[in-house]
Amino acid sequence: MDKKKHCVKLSVQPSRALMDEKFIVLVQNAPPGFQMTIHSLHHSEDGHSWEAFGHYTADATGTVNVSQDHSVGGTYSGVEPMGLLWSLRPVPGSKPHLRFRKMNVQTPMEVTISVYQGHQTVFVDQVQLASVLVERWYMAPGVRRIPVTESNLTATLFLPPGPGPFPGVLDLWGGGGQLVEYRSALLASHGFASLALDYLTPKITLKTGKMVENDYFETAYKFLQQHPQVSGSRIAMMGLSFGTTMTLKMAVYSEVMKLSCAVCISGSHIQPVNATVEEIFIMFDTKSEKTRISEENEVIWHDVVLPVPTDPGMKADVGRLQCPLLLIVGEDDQNWAAPESAQDIKEMMEQAGNSHLLTLLSYANTGHLIEPPYTPHTRASRFKPVGSNELLVVLWGGETVAHSRAQEDAWRKTLAFLRENLYSRKNSAVTFTSHL
Amino acid sequence: MSRNTLRPLTVKMITSLLRVHRKLSSLNPAVGAVCGVRWSSGLNRPPLLSAAPARALMDEQIIIKGRFLPPHCPVTVCAQLHSDDGDLWQSFAHYNTNADGTVNLASDHSVGGSYLGCEPMGLFWGLEPAPGSREGLRLRKKNVETPYVVHMSLLEGHVSQREEQSVELAVATTERWYMAPGVKRKDIRQNGVVGTLFLPPGPGPFPAMLDMWGMGGGLMEYRSALLASRGYAAFSLAYFGHKDLPGPQTTINVGDAYFKSAFQFLQDHHQICANRVGIIGLSFGVYLTLRMAAHIGVKASCLICINGPVGSVLDLVDADGRCTAFEESSQKHWSFDERGYVSFRDISSPGNFNPENKLKLENISCPLMWVVGEDDMSASSIENADVMEETLKASGKAHLFTRLSYPGAGHLIEPPYSPNARLSLWSIKPVKFTIWGGYPAPHAAAQEDAWRKILDFLDTNLRGFGQS
Repeated sequence: MDKKKHCVKLSVQPSRALMDEKFIVLVQNAPPGFQMTIHSLHHSEDGHSWEAFGHYTADATGTVNVSQDHSVGGTYSGVEPMGLLWSLRPVPGSKPHLRFRKMNVQTPMEVTISVYQGHQTVFVDQVQLASVLVERWYMAPGVRRIPVTESNLTATLFLPPGPGPFPGVLDLWGGGGQLVEYRSALLASHGFASLALDYLTPKITLKTGKMVENDYFETAYKFLQQHPQVSGSRIAMMGLSFGTTMTLKMAVYSEVMKLSCAVCISGSHIQPVNATVEEIFIMFDTKSEKTRISEENEVIWHDVVLPVPTDPGMKADVGRLQCPLLLIVGEDDQNWAAPESAQDIKEMMEQAGNSHLLTLLSYANTGHLIEPPYTPHTRASRFKPVGSNELLVVLWGGETVAHSRAQEDAWRKTLAFLRENLYSRKNSAVTFTSHL
Repeated sequence: MSRNTLRPLTVKMITSLLRVHRKLSSLNPAVGAVCGVRWSSGLNRPPLLSAAPARALMDEQIIIKGRFLPPHCPVTVCAQLHSDDGDLWQSFAHYNTNADGTVNLASDHSVGGSYLGCEPMGLFWGLEPAPGSREGLRLRKKNVETPYVVHMSLLEGHVSQREEQSVELAVATTERWYMAPGVKRKDIRQNGVVGTLFLPPGPGPFPAMLDMWGMGGGLMEYRSALLASRGYAAFSLAYFGHKDLPGPQTTINVGDAYFKSAFQFLQDHHQICANRVGIIGLSFGVYLTLRMAAHIGVKASCLICINGPVGSVLDLVDADGRCTAFEESSQKHWSFDERGYVSFRDISSPGNFNPENKLKLENISCPLMWVVGEDDMSASSIENADVMEETLKASGKAHLFTRLSYPGAGHLIEPPYSPNARLSLWSIKPVKFTIWGGYPAPHAAAQEDAWRKILDFLDTNLRGFGQS
């Protein structure tokens, strides 16, 4: 009997893939009807361990195919080809309120996938029957990573392989600041020259103590526009959370930026018009009395910008938008009143007659952090907004299964939206590379 | 492209011929003009070249596709890589796009270039040194911890590699790896044994293979790296021409005790199943494999012998420490062709073997897979295979013997999808080229088929529930 179970074969195809690519986890040569647990383990950059697992029973041929078979228990259930990634959670005994974010995009995320005998829930002292290592990459082969410091920018440019020229994307994250590269790295892997921009904590702000102004974004736009490998007339802007605020500000009001399209995730158009970046940022007062605290002591900032203003001076005038806009919101967003803002944006655009430019994706039971797919969902995590010294536990929202499905769907649609709008039907001198 | 004459086309034939690109290419003058207009007119989206998976193992087939191209138009797919030594290798193939504007190398036919016909991996095994390269190159990866980075491009029209005027439509970059994620590489210098051990990921214990190459010497790791990527612990063993071995690098300075130690090393390893250890050898490595199994008496679970001899003109170091120089002992058997290239073929002609080295092949008692390249110009492969087969038959052990024989394949039957070297530089002083044999397409097919069968053979004999 022992000999047989040790002949269990485990394979994951492909063993090296992009972060947003699916894989097939296959167990073979098990005894028919053999109960097993398929387990994933990842040690993150910041020293924490994450795991996920599913409970399976081998069929008559001794096979389990995670893409086709049902998990009957574990961190996910049912037929979930990628459950071993999106249901990853910190191992028992970990610090609470962790968030998975890979900051070094030049190395892959390594995940160990193992098979254990029986339906297990604790793995510390268990011996695996078989184990493989899987690499998940943010950068496709040939993608180039180029730090950008000219003109006082703090940014990283990711270029697809080849001579180009490529359409460009200006990529912004939210109120936590820093230079976050992983979405841009993935965008470049799909054929877009993508500039990840630090606009809250760039070197110039750290040096002078002054927040950037509109011209910082315009400088970033011009950098892309003038880059020999970027198609200057095909540039999009994408933002999440506070990044949406900035994206809408520039898309509506900038004389310099002529965007081909914009993608706004988990954000809002609510902002004082004609204000500086700093004035807008301060408006999102994290100590506002509209802050709520959950039963688990998690900070809920959802109400801070509500109610949606009627004063037009307090909202970006989306009726003036001239480019297509993709709006992505999670209906369980506990951090930002994104669904309410989206409704108002829709109404404003309908009234102005440009609602044909709007595509709204609204996901039930989905939280604030709508990111590229197949990484763990975090419902609440420790967060320090720029300008604050307090490390709080912030509630983002979302129920794991629904949120993970939303990420997969939203990412696919985001890529399709960018392709559609950055490659026109007219004569195009743009070359395109992708691994999809 | 006008080699094929236009034939009268009936309506029925047109439908079937639409997929026969060779015929279609004969219509090219007219089609080309239409394509010329199409290339510059608006397309819904620009052409795309994809290779998936983009990061794959060297022995994995990948799918190379072009999409969003005009229908029925000539395109060229090219591949380029730099070897570890910095040489540029390249390949190209001519296709005509399908009615839906795609080209798929897994199903479509090349009508010209480095290969013809439907060859999904032709761009890899069809690689050749770029014009102007040094002569006599052979593509062998020395550093197996890094991948080959292959740049692929899709060009307009049927062009040969990188012509000045060719328009690049799309590019893709792929990586080809010898080591799967999690495979561990360890330098071994233990008890005098010199080699590199590769362990698969996971707890083990694993079945294992001892891996030996031929009289090129040194330490070649790539086959072992791949075996470990397929779940077998694998040990590349150096025995000749390596700085960490005793004595001058021009002679074999190790004897039976060395090979016994190497096998023992594997059996003693805590992550290896002592009773599931096999041996794989190519060229002179075959003789060593057989010597270990039949003479030294190691308990191998199975043997794989590729294009090698059952006997030897060379001696291993004997008890008195006398050793053999390859050149000295074998030179009388060298033959030269009209270009002055040397063939080592007759060294392994059974009639030339040193009778003192004759092995009791009938002692072999484990399954044995024997691989023959019928165009082997470096070893008398067929003759030796015959001797082995006859010997086993005569001792009632025919059931142990599996023979794979490949017409058109040469001496260097290696893991698949890398180019064959029909000849290569053997020595620098004096400059000498040696002939290995083998023609590109049949050799590539042999490598693919043999490797698959080798892995199945290992699965059966090292993992099966059979005798252990």
